[in-house]
Amino acid sequence: MAAPAVTAVRGWSGLTPGVRSVVLRLPGVTQVRWSRYGPEYRDPQIDKEYYRKPLAELTEEEKYDRELRKTQHIKAAPAMKTSSVFEDPLISKFTNMMMKGGNKVLARSLMTQTLEALKRKQFEKYHAAPAEEQATIERNPYTIFHQALKNCEPVIGLVPILKGGHFYQVPVPLADRRRRFLAMKWMITECREKKHRRVLMPEKLSHELLQAFQNQGPVIKRKHDMHKMAEANRALAHYRWW
Amino acid sequence: MPPSCLHNTQTNLSGAQPTPPPRAHSPAPSPKPAARLSGTPLRPARRDFPGGPGSRPGPPLPHPAALPEVQVREMTGAPGKPRAEWSRKCLGPEASPGASTHRVRGRGPHMRVQRAGTMLKGMTRLISRVHKLDPGRLLHTGTQAPQNLTAQLDDQVSSERPRAISRTSENDPAKHELRHEGQHYNIPLPDVKALFPQGLPPRYLKQVKTFNEACLMVRKPALELLHHLKNTNFAHPAVRYVLYGEKGTGKTLSLCHIIHFCAKQDWLVLHIPDAHLWVKNCRELLQSTYNKQRFDQPLEASIWLKNFKTANERFLSQIKTQEKYVWNKRESTEQGSPLGEVVEQGMTRVRSATDAVGIVLKELKRQSSLGTFRLLVAVDGVNALWGRTTLKREDKSPIAPEELALIYNLRKVVRNDWNGGAIVLTLSQTGSLFKPRKAYLPQELLGKEGFDALDPFIPILVSNYNPKEFESCLQYYLENSWLQHEKAHTEEGKRELLFLSNSNPGQLERLCACL
Repeated sequence: MAAPAVTAVRGWSGLTPGVRSVVLRLPGVTQVRWSRYGPEYRDPQIDKEYYRKPLAELTEEEKYDRELRKTQHIKAAPAMKTSSVFEDPLISKFTNMMMKGGNKVLARSLMTQTLEALKRKQFEKYHAAPAEEQATIERNPYTIFHQALKNCEPVIGLVPILKGGHFYQVPVPLADRRRRFLAMKWMITECREKKHRRVLMPEKLSHELLQAFQNQGPVIKRKHDMHKMAEANRALAHYRWW
Repeated sequence: MPPSCLHNTQTNLSGAQPTPPPRAHSPAPSPKPAARLSGTPLRPARRDFPGGPGSRPGPPLPHPAALPEVQVREMTGAPGKPRAEWSRKCLGPEASPGASTHRVRGRGPHMRVQRAGTMLKGMTRLISRVHKLDPGRLLHTGTQAPQNLTAQLDDQVSSERPRAISRTSENDPAKHELRHEGQHYNIPLPDVKALFPQGLPPRYLKQVKTFNEACLMVRKPALELLHHLKNTNFAHPAVRYVLYGEKGTGKTLSLCHIIHFCAKQDWLVLHIPDAHLWVKNCRELLQSTYNKQRFDQPLEASIWLKNFKTANERFLSQIKTQEKYVWNKRESTEQGSPLGEVVEQGMTRVRSATDAVGIVLKELKRQSSLGTFRLLVAVDGVNALWGRTTLKREDKSPIAPEELALIYNLRKVVRNDWNGGAIVLTLSQTGSLFKPRKAYLPQELLGKEGFDALDPFIPILVSNYNPKEFESCLQYYLENSWLQHEKAHTEEGKRELLFLSNSNPGQLERLCACL
């Protein structure tokens, strides 16, 4: 193991070998979440197409990469990542966010029922619509899901910054992953809290996703509220130092 | 050998499907043996599902049950393997089961195969595999072997065409034959409402509503049953046919196919959609007025009477009761009055609904022997009649099924002591009580009592889709644009669906619903 070498180089004693070297080094900030893998571990390649490429078609880089993988340590693939062609990382992330108490079976079944409900609703509309409008109706639940969440993503966010003993809501640009997270979080919260107890989650979620797909509905409204607050507090923008 | 291969072989044995040679390029020495790099985790800790060129190294296991049409498209798509396709195509028609395999070593196609050189290895392996599968298939097809051969040869030829046919225009079940196997036929929606007010599975109903059409696949078990029904001798006692199979294989829909046929042939259809509903979750249990030992179920009985009336409107005025029935002090039905009156009485006076049901069953059983009409008794979930119930008396002691009047009367109808019709039954674990999930055989589900009561019966196994039916089902979904995921249209996606569902119709439907 490279552990002794790593700690010797870094000069920090007592650190476990799992500390990644790409950590953001701010003074007074220590990393609390780290992986057990050292920096020499590579991510697993799950894509089947990568392995199916015949050797003749590989470029020099790819050949070198393959040879390198033979000798390097590779991390274990996470349990929920599959090589299925139907796998969608956004759907997986959303399912994980919907999960409560580790009940992935329930979360996943809710997700599949939501997609089915979306499809059935759109099919109903499709059959009811006249021929000219049929081409405009989107029946693919995955496109609707992706588009709806994209429509819900805020462009700018608010961050509480402490200045002079008071917390001010300062408008701040958001990273891509934060925006995706906020869109999904708002969607799930909205569906959990604002539904009647007899209405099932897939039903409510499919309804909200359809509304968000058309840029309507409570989640879009929440996004607009966020934007308006950011606009209102734009004078505080100089409180941000990054 | 990965278990997925086992599943494939099992499917083939039960499906009696001709085995055109599998992808002949996989047994051929892979031109790039180094495609599989040692030390690289080609396969993650989970099993990879089979298929895909080059994903399996060394001595492979050619899938005898691989999709024939899929292979056609794959071969045309894969570059650099024209010889395999060409030799497979010429060997294709000859590789039908039984008689013709030994002729492969003879003239013409074999000579061309010899010229194909390295493909011969794959061919011999294929031949040995076809030989191995032969006895099982012949045993299974039984009396229908001759038609099978010709039909399968036709299908071989049709499988060479690029698109599998999933629909047939033959909408009359009486004319369905083996050549329609795997194809969907359309039932007009008004007929669906009239014939099946209650009998269709809920997921199928949703599908009918979404697609705006009711299409049933013509499958071997139903065809076999139709053949038997067409040749019934109405002078002999009613024959009992029991459809059994694992969960989700299509027993209920096969039953619906039979009911459609019988209704078209103007039989009187006595359809009990789910006998399990009568032995559980009953809100009101009344002590029966007719027999103090038994219990009445007014709600279930009245619902059934309503649906019976919808399905068999025209018979209710023709059939007359043969004795007088006294309901209570003020009401009675005279002898010779139409059966419709008894049904009306049951529907209006809900307290006597169970007795009305009993009377209907008794009268129909008695009068079917006279020959004025033919009776089809169709019970779904017949293992409920001999199982246990979850119903309890006021003193919390359990009630046995025979203490329920509905079940008691139904048991009498299912006995084969009458003639002039047929009895088609379905076993079902899905709604059953106190039965293990994996149980599907008649002995397991019926128990000793039920098996002895039903003995003798003709068992008909309903199994998973064979490759042709699977392809047809996917084709049907594609035609209705039900598979919206862009990867579902690809071969990779189809292979994955085959693997995930194991060709089980119910599972496939659930998987395709969210794609």
